[in-house]
Amino acid sequence: MKILVVEDNARVARFVTQGLREAGHTVDHADNGRDGMFSAASEPYDVIVMDRMLPGNIDGLGIIEALRKAGNRTPILILSALAAVDERIRGLRAGGDDYLTKPFAFGELLARVDALGRRSLGQDAERALQVADLRMDLLTRKVTRGSRVIALQPREFKLLEYLMRHANQVVTRTMLLEGVWDYNFDPQTNVVDVHISKLRQKIEHDTERPLVRTVRNAGYMMCEHDRA
Amino acid sequence: MIALNRSSAVTWAVGYVLLGLAALAAFAVPLWYAWSVTIFDGRAAILEDDAQRLTEVFHHGGVQGLTAYINARVGMQIAGERTLLLTDERYRHLAGNLAAWPREITGASGANAIMVDLAGQPTHTQLVQTTLPGGYHLLVGRDLSRFLPLERRFTYGLISAVTFLFLVGVTGAILIRRELLARVTGIRQTVAAIMQGDLRHRLPIRRTNDELDTLSQTINGMLDHIEHLIGGISNVSNSIAHDLRTPLAELRSRLEELTLTRPAPAQTFAEVDAAVADVDRVIRIFNALLRLAEIDTGARRSGFVRVDASQVAAEVVEFYEPAAEQKGVAFSFASEGVAAVAGDPVLLAQALSNLIDNSLKCVAEHGAISVHVGHRADGAVEIAVADDGPGITEADRPRATERFFRGDTSRGTPGVGLGLAIVDAVAKLHGGALQLLDNHPGLRAQMVLPVTATRTSR
Repeated sequence: MKILVVEDNARVARFVTQGLREAGHTVDHADNGRDGMFSAASEPYDVIVMDRMLPGNIDGLGIIEALRKAGNRTPILILSALAAVDERIRGLRAGGDDYLTKPFAFGELLARVDALGRRSLGQDAERALQVADLRMDLLTRKVTRGSRVIALQPREFKLLEYLMRHANQVVTRTMLLEGVWDYNFDPQTNVVDVHISKLRQKIEHDTERPLVRTVRNAGYMMCEHDRA
Repeated sequence: MIALNRSSAVTWAVGYVLLGLAALAAFAVPLWYAWSVTIFDGRAAILEDDAQRLTEVFHHGGVQGLTAYINARVGMQIAGERTLLLTDERYRHLAGNLAAWPREITGASGANAIMVDLAGQPTHTQLVQTTLPGGYHLLVGRDLSRFLPLERRFTYGLISAVTFLFLVGVTGAILIRRELLARVTGIRQTVAAIMQGDLRHRLPIRRTNDELDTLSQTINGMLDHIEHLIGGISNVSNSIAHDLRTPLAELRSRLEELTLTRPAPAQTFAEVDAAVADVDRVIRIFNALLRLAEIDTGARRSGFVRVDASQVAAEVVEFYEPAAEQKGVAFSFASEGVAAVAGDPVLLAQALSNLIDNSLKCVAEHGAISVHVGHRADGAVEIAVADDGPGITEADRPRATERFFRGDTSRGTPGVGLGLAIVDAVAKLHGGALQLLDNHPGLRAQMVLPVTATRTSR
């Protein structure tokens, strides 16, 4: 993917651009609002990572609003130290697609950038999801693996749907909390892990190939192929 | 007294005195006019009647008859009541108690009020003159001096009323100003002391419930809240200084040890991972503190909606079920149907999640946790989490909701000591309270949310 990173802090910018390049993306970097605005408006990107507080007369939210007004629909991940719920809401209202607060783990950033990039490919009107031999019918809400029918609780269904929609991408525990349960707080115990392990027991019987991989220091990934 | 012309009390007093004077004038001027014009004219008519009667006497008895009549009347009457004078055509005295024709009276006829010399006494007299056939002149008058005391009293009354009004106005202005100044000065001194940084000061309250008192009470309420917030901030600052040092110190020593010992790459990376975990712990504490600060400001109250506490609880319980199952804990949930409160569903979920989290950490394997949502006798909604774990000792209970407080029983378990503080803050934000009770054995933690809060629901 082609990604634009607008971030004035040199160390954070280097950390992010290097990490994204290692993950196989093409990365451009702007270290002030003016350049960021210019690049974002003149070149097509798959995802923009935008800091909020920027030098150069225009801040992150200003750029996002200007881009949206001009009809630019590029997915934007807002990266900010402003963590309050209200700030988050302001960021998303301005036209941001996701909001990540500093400090952050790179795994979290990468997972969210991937998720946004996938969204821009456009896959909304689906009726079924398929990962390897696991199939989910979104209309009848029936889940099958091969010929085996899997019975799931509504929340398990939602969790599996989220994992399948983000197949071959890392999803973090925070993303799962927000996406599946709509909670934006951090439970102390490993509740998400337990949910995942329960789901694994249902979709991965002894003889079947494991589908959900644990990614160290990041989260989980549902894999299409054995060694992705 | 420099501020005299700027004092609102003085302005008001002057205004009221002027208003009083205007009212007095509006009362006295018509009265004075009625007195001096109407009554004067009335008396002139009486005097003219009198002169008419004397003229009739003249027609019947001639000059001799009238002279005799006048002499008889002058001799009979109380001195000064009637002034009578009959002269010939050259104004020579024929009869009457007035010695000579007054020089002021000329012309044909009419009423006059002049000073005349009556038996050696200058007397204010109202006179009516008539010319009789044959050139004789007749003067009929009435002494006005007996009305003087009345007029004097009227004038004195007016003057004393004005003086009284003036005095009352000035005294009132001084008193009000002194009173107002004293109270305003009191308020100013208190506020100045607060601006110096001592937030404990409060405005004096007189319990008279007047406007200034109500204002003072409102300001005091505001000061209470500010003090509470400031206290929270300094509390947090102290806690940060104290409790963030520990993980930071660990982190620092870990990194410094790495640079000193320079171990093999595998071990180095393991240490770096541990350092990242340390940083994550610090970040978690920060997030919890920021969340607390956010709740404490009350700003989230603007986002309150009508929430069914039962439904929120059911979802959180469902969220924790697998974790409880994994630990072999009997986890039960009971609700008495819809329990509507005005609130923030995510915050309520977080608060309940913290309580369940605590219980899960504390109870032994195969212990029991039960969550219950219901209404109390007074209609308040109660969200309770009860467990059979070690509980919190009676002595620790009041401090359990303090930031970073960790009881003896929770030492060694994961956590940063902010869980109950957040629950407490959430309960307070919703106008309720967090109660920690003995569950014999274990802990029963319940959030009591008053129904009055539903008034703000949309």
